[in-house]
Amino acid sequence: MTDVLAVDAVGVTKTFGAVRAVDDISVRVKAGEVYGVLGPNGAGKTTFLRMLFGLIRPDSGTIEVFGRTWDEAGVGVLDGVAGFIESPKFYPYLTGRQNLEGLALLDGGVRPGLLDEVLDLVEMTERADQKVGGYSYGMRQRLGVAASLLREPRLLVLDEPANGLDPAGIRDMRALVKRLAASGLTVLLSSHHMDEVEEICDNVTIMRRGSVAFHGSIADLRAMAPDPGHRMVTSDDDRAVALAARHPAVSVVRDPDPDGRPALAVTGPQRQVSGYVASIVQADVELLELTPTQTPLEALFFMLTDDETEMEGAR
Amino acid sequence: MRRTIITILTALVVVLGLGTAVIAANGGDSSTVTRARLERSLPTTFANLYVTQAALQGRTGITAASVHPQAMCDKAGAVGKDIGPGGDWVCLMSWTDPEVPMPPEGYGKFELNVHSNDCYTASGPSKLTGFLTMTDSKGREVTNPVFEFDGCFDPHGDNAATGVVFPSLLNATSTTVTPDPQGRASIQVTCGTGDQGCAGTVAVTAGGTDLGTVPYDLQEESTGTVVAPKRLPAGAKEVTFTVRPTTGVGPTSPVVLPVQPAG
Amino acid sequence: MSTTETLPTGHEVVATPVRRRGGVLSALRWELRKLRAQYRARAVLLGALLMPIVVVVVIQGQSRPPKDTLLGRFATENGFALALLVLGFASQWVLPLLTAIVAGDIFASEDQHGTWKTVLTRSTSRGRLFWAKTLTAAGFAALVLLVLAVSTIASSLLIVGHQPLIGLSGQTIPTAEALRLVAASWATMLPPMLGFTCLAILLSVWSRNPAVGIAAPVVIGMVMQLVGALGGVEAIRPFLLSTPFEAWHGLLTQPRFTGPLVEGLLTSGAWCAGSLAIAFVLLRHRDITGG
Ligand SMILES: Nc1ncnc2c1ncn2[C@@H]1O[C@H](COP(=O)(O)OP(=O)(O)O)[C@@H](O)[C@H]1O
Ligand SMILES: [Mg+2]
Repeated sequence: MTDVLAVDAVGVTKTFGAVRAVDDISVRVKAGEVYGVLGPNGAGKTTFLRMLFGLIRPDSGTIEVFGRTWDEAGVGVLDGVAGFIESPKFYPYLTGRQNLEGLALLDGGVRPGLLDEVLDLVEMTERADQKVGGYSYGMRQRLGVAASLLREPRLLVLDEPANGLDPAGIRDMRALVKRLAASGLTVLLSSHHMDEVEEICDNVTIMRRGSVAFHGSIADLRAMAPDPGHRMVTSDDDRAVALAARHPAVSVVRDPDPDGRPALAVTGPQRQVSGYVASIVQADVELLELTPTQTPLEALFFMLTDDETEMEGAR
Repeated sequence: MRRTIITILTALVVVLGLGTAVIAANGGDSSTVTRARLERSLPTTFANLYVTQAALQGRTGITAASVHPQAMCDKAGAVGKDIGPGGDWVCLMSWTDPEVPMPPEGYGKFELNVHSNDCYTASGPSKLTGFLTMTDSKGREVTNPVFEFDGCFDPHGDNAATGVVFPSLLNATSTTVTPDPQGRASIQVTCGTGDQGCAGTVAVTAGGTDLGTVPYDLQEESTGTVVAPKRLPAGAKEVTFTVRPTTGVGPTSPVVLPVQPAG
Repeated sequence: MSTTETLPTGHEVVATPVRRRGGVLSALRWELRKLRAQYRARAVLLGALLMPIVVVVVIQGQSRPPKDTLLGRFATENGFALALLVLGFASQWVLPLLTAIVAGDIFASEDQHGTWKTVLTRSTSRGRLFWAKTLTAAGFAALVLLVLAVSTIASSLLIVGHQPLIGLSGQTIPTAEALRLVAASWATMLPPMLGFTCLAILLSVWSRNPAVGIAAPVVIGMVMQLVGALGGVEAIRPFLLSTPFEAWHGLLTQPRFTGPLVEGLLTSGAWCAGSLAIAFVLLRHRDITGG
C-alpha cells in the first residue's frame, strides 16, 4: 500500500540565465529508502533540492512529494518533509533554543519534550542557550539537523551535511546520518563524496553538469566499477614489471611520484593482485609500499562525472 | 552598492516622471495658493490676533467683528499672475480701530511669504501694528502677536474673487532734488500695490516759479521719474511737487524737497 | 496495518499531513519574538522616548524662538506650540527613518542572514510570512509613533507649560482643546508613516539589502518633501507621500478643514497598497537561491 513515492520528480529543468543548472532530471525515491544524489560541485544537486522545497520554481517538469505537487497543495507539500539546503542558517542574535522554538512556532507547535530530545540527539543541549552568532560551523550544522528533526519528518533531505566540517565533525555527522537512516526514515542525501553515499544509500543518482550520469542501485554501480588500483614501491621495479607478465589479469605500469620517486601503478581484480604480490615477494623482491589509490566506486564516480567521458546509466 | 544606487535613481526617476506627467496634464497653473484664499484667510487671522493684542494691552470692546479687516492681495506686481507660493505676495488690508486710524490711503501694507503647503508668514506695517515686542497692561515686555504671524488656509476653500480693491499709492522716493545737465528738476516716484496702478499729474513749482505740470501713468509696483519741463531757476532752494492723482492715491500734501546742487 | 486497510483510500494515509501548520498568528508571534530580541528595535523605542525630551530642553533654552517654522515663534513659551514644532520636524525625516529601521530590514535581514530557506522549509507559505512581517512592521510603526508623541507632548507641557495656544487662524485655543488637537495632529502622522512603512517593505523586498531598505525611504521622503515645497510643480503635491504629513494644519485653523486629511488618507493608502502589492508579487515569485 505504500507505493506512493516519497519523491517523484519527472523531467525537472532549471536554467539560471545561460547556465542549465538542472537539465531534465528525474528522481524517484521510495518511502523508507536512503537515496543519494551525487555529483561534483556545480553539478546541480543543491538547485534540485531547492526545487523540492519550493524555494526555486522549476522551468519545466513536475515534482511530487508523497503524491502532492506545489500547484495543488501549496506549502502543504512540505508536510512530513524536513531538512536543510547547503549550510543551515539561523538568526545569530537568538540562542540555539530560541531559534528552534521559533521554527517550532512556524510549524504550528511541537509536542512537549521534543525540543530537548532533538537537542540531545545532536549533542547540543549544553550550548543551546548560547547565541547562534557564536556557534562554530559544525555546531550550526548539528543545530540544522535538530531543527529538521523537530518536524518529525518522514522524509529528511540533507544537502552535503558533512561539507565544511573537520574530520571529527565529518565522522560524527556521518554516524548521525547513519543512525537516522537506520531508524526507518526516508533520507535524500546529496554529496560529492562517493564513500559518504556508498555505505548508507540504497539507490543513487549521479549528476554531472545538471544532467543524470548514472541512475540506479549501489549494487549496479559496484558491478560497473573498474578494478581497484594500487601504488607499489619495490626494491627492484624491473623485476616486478617482468614478473607481471605471468599475471595477465594484472596491469603494472611505471608511474613515478610527482617528485620523481619511482613507483608502480598496479590495477586488477583483488585476487589476482594478491597472487601477483605474493609472486614478487617469493622472487625476493622487497615490497616497500603497497597502498590502494582509489576505491573502485570512487574511480567510477570520477569517470562518470569527468567531462570527457560519456556513459549511459544502468537501469 | 550598485543595487542601492539603482534603487535610489529609480525612485527619483519615478517621482520626477510622475511630476512631469501631472504638470503636463494640468498646465502648471493648479496651485492652491490663490489671491482669493489669501484675501479671506489673512483678515480672519489678523482679526483674531488683533483682538489678542488688544487684550494684552488691556483694551476692551475690540472684537474680531468690530475690527472688520478687508484685504486685497497681489503677487509679483502687475506682471505676475496672482497665484502660487512665493515671498513676493503683498496684501493691502484695512481695518477699524478707533484708536488706530488708517492712513489717508485707507490701508496698511502686509508682506507675505506663502508656502506651497498653504501656510504663510505675514509681517505687518509697524506704523499700524507695532514692533516685535510690546508692553502689556501689566507693564511686561511681551511678543507682539501681529508684528509677524503665521496662518494657514484651506486649499479647497472658497476661491471666488472677494471684490476687495484698494487704490495704488504713489510715493516719492527722492529725498533731494538734483538738477539734471539741462538744469531740470526731477523726482522719483513709485506706485505701490493696488488696483489699477497710478495716473495723474504732478505740478512742480520752485519758490514762486511754476516749472510746469507733468502727467504720469505707472503700473502697480513700478517706479518712474517725473521731470519738470522748465529749467530750475538759479538759486532755488526748494522744489515743491503737488500730486493730483486721477487713478490711485498720492501724497495728500505737496512734497517739498531741498535742492542739491549738481557736482 | 489493519486500521489503514479499513480506510477507503489507502494511499491517502501516507499523504495525510502528519503535522499541523502554523497560521499567520504563529508567524506573527515569531516575528514579534525576533523583533523583541533585536537591539535595534529597542534602541529605536528608547530613542523615541528620550530624544523628544532632549529636543524640548534644547529648544526651551534658546533665547530666540525658531520663527521660520510654523508655530515656532511660540515654541519657547508654549508647550503645545513646541509639541507641534517637534511634530513638523519629525515628519521631515525622523518618522520615515524610525519606521524604516524595522520595516526596511524585516525582509532584507532574512537575505542578510540567509534565513529565507530556514523559514520557508517549515511549511510556512510566503504569503503568511509576508503578512506576519508586514503586520509586525506596521505595529511597530504605530508603537514608535505613540511613544514619540506621548514623550513629546508630555515633556513639552511639563517643561514649557500649557498656556492656551494661538492657532493657525490666529484664534486662541483653550488648554483642554489644545491638548486634544495636538494629540489628534500627532495621530494624523500614522497614515503617511504607514505609507513609508509599506514603501520600506517594498524596498526591503526588492533590494534584499537592509541598508537600502532603511536609507532609501528616508531619501525618497526628503526628495518628496523638496519637490512638494517647490513652486510651479504643486500639481503633484497630492500624490506625494510627504504631503499627508502636513494635513494636521487643518485641525488648528478656524474653521477647521479636513480635506487634506481625507486626501492624505487616500494618498497614504494608495502608496501602501501599491507598495505591498508589488512587494508581495516580488516575494512570491522570487527564487530563493541564496543562504
Ligand atoms: N542563483 C544562481 N544564479 C546563477 N547560477 C546559479 C545559481 N545557483 C546555481 N547556479 C549554477 O547552477 C549550477 C548548479 O549549482 P548547484 O545546484 O549549487 O550545484 P551543486 O549543489 O551540485 O554544487 C552551477 O553551475 C551554479 O553556478
Ligand atoms: Mg551544493
